[in-house]
Amino acid sequence: MAHQAHAYHMVDPSPWPLTGAIAALLMTSGLAIWFHFHSTVLMTLGLILLLLTMYQWWRDIIREGTFQGHHTPPVQKGLRYGMILFITSEVFFFLGFFWAFYHSSLAPTPELGGCWPPTGITPLDPFEVPLLNTAVLLASGVTVTWAHHSIMEGERKQAIQSLTLTILLGLYFTALQATEYYEAPFTIADGVYGSTFFVATGFHGLHVIIGSTFLAVCLLRQVQYHFTSEHHFGFEAAAWYWHFVDVVWLFLYVSIYWWGS
Amino acid sequence: KVYLFNVKDSCRVQSSGLKATVPSQAPAMIFAVPTKVVSETGSVAHYMGINKVPELQKIFQKTDGAPVHLKRGVMDKMLYRTTMGLTIGGTLYCLMALYIAAQPRKPQ
Repeated sequence: MAHQAHAYHMVDPSPWPLTGAIAALLMTSGLAIWFHFHSTVLMTLGLILLLLTMYQWWRDIIREGTFQGHHTPPVQKGLRYGMILFITSEVFFFLGFFWAFYHSSLAPTPELGGCWPPTGITPLDPFEVPLLNTAVLLASGVTVTWAHHSIMEGERKQAIQSLTLTILLGLYFTALQATEYYEAPFTIADGVYGSTFFVATGFHGLHVIIGSTFLAVCLLRQVQYHFTSEHHFGFEAAAWYWHFVDVVWLFLYVSIYWWGS
Repeated sequence: KVYLFNVKDSCRVQSSGLKATVPSQAPAMIFAVPTKVVSETGSVAHYMGINKVPELQKIFQKTDGAPVHLKRGVMDKMLYRTTMGLTIGGTLYCLMALYIAAQPRKPQ
């Protein structure tokens, strides 16, 4: 039987890059068709295809790593580089929205009343729910670190409990933010204040949901004994992403909620 | 293929063509196990289910030539066919929708 003379992973041919690309095509075209012809069929089809692609692609990665042993140290190093580069790209994504916020708020135009917050806008009190949200995310940063140490020390029960707590805190943040959105005295259509506020915090909220989902998958994997004390990169990647989400919130809180009020 | 699990960086792949940095020996572990052995942890080892990973490792390492996305048989095949069906059908639907959308509308 032939043995590979290297430690790298030569993946089996996979259909998921194609299905993912088609999903992107269907979602974008579907968006245009929805706008012009009021039909959501194409866009929905694209979304379903996206979900199917993500489920099967990531399922296969777990199979390749945990069940087939392909994630050797050099391969894991590559995965680490990949996750770091991805998070870096997300940092740049948010940087754009912060740029937009500071562009408008540092030199408010006469149309806004020459002040920030603009005339007519009652901003949210930064020391009410937003401060609670800050505490929630900071606490979740502690619990996810607790989970990491539990995994490294082989403490199965503690790992499961702390990871569950982290996810619950993430869901609590999302619920609080949803009520804030509902109760806010201003909308996304309220000038540049509304635009910058809801686009920046909205994308952040989406990332909290993505991060919570990633952690939930890790919880499922931890329960199913996928992680060992020496090898648990999937969890580390989720924890890195979660810390990133936390840091973005801190910047949002200080810039938009606090300074911006 | 040689499969190594939880082997530290100091151990290198043992096969022809690579310089061995440690004396030739069988990999330390064939299947990954949690660091605590079952007998040491008692009831904790069964907290929220038993470990099915070694069993799954056997299934996924069968030399049946199946690619990883079809390795589990019928369920995998069904899900793949559904996905591919939606892909191809969706592409055709999309191209048709875009063609129709590109047709000029009669002015009212």
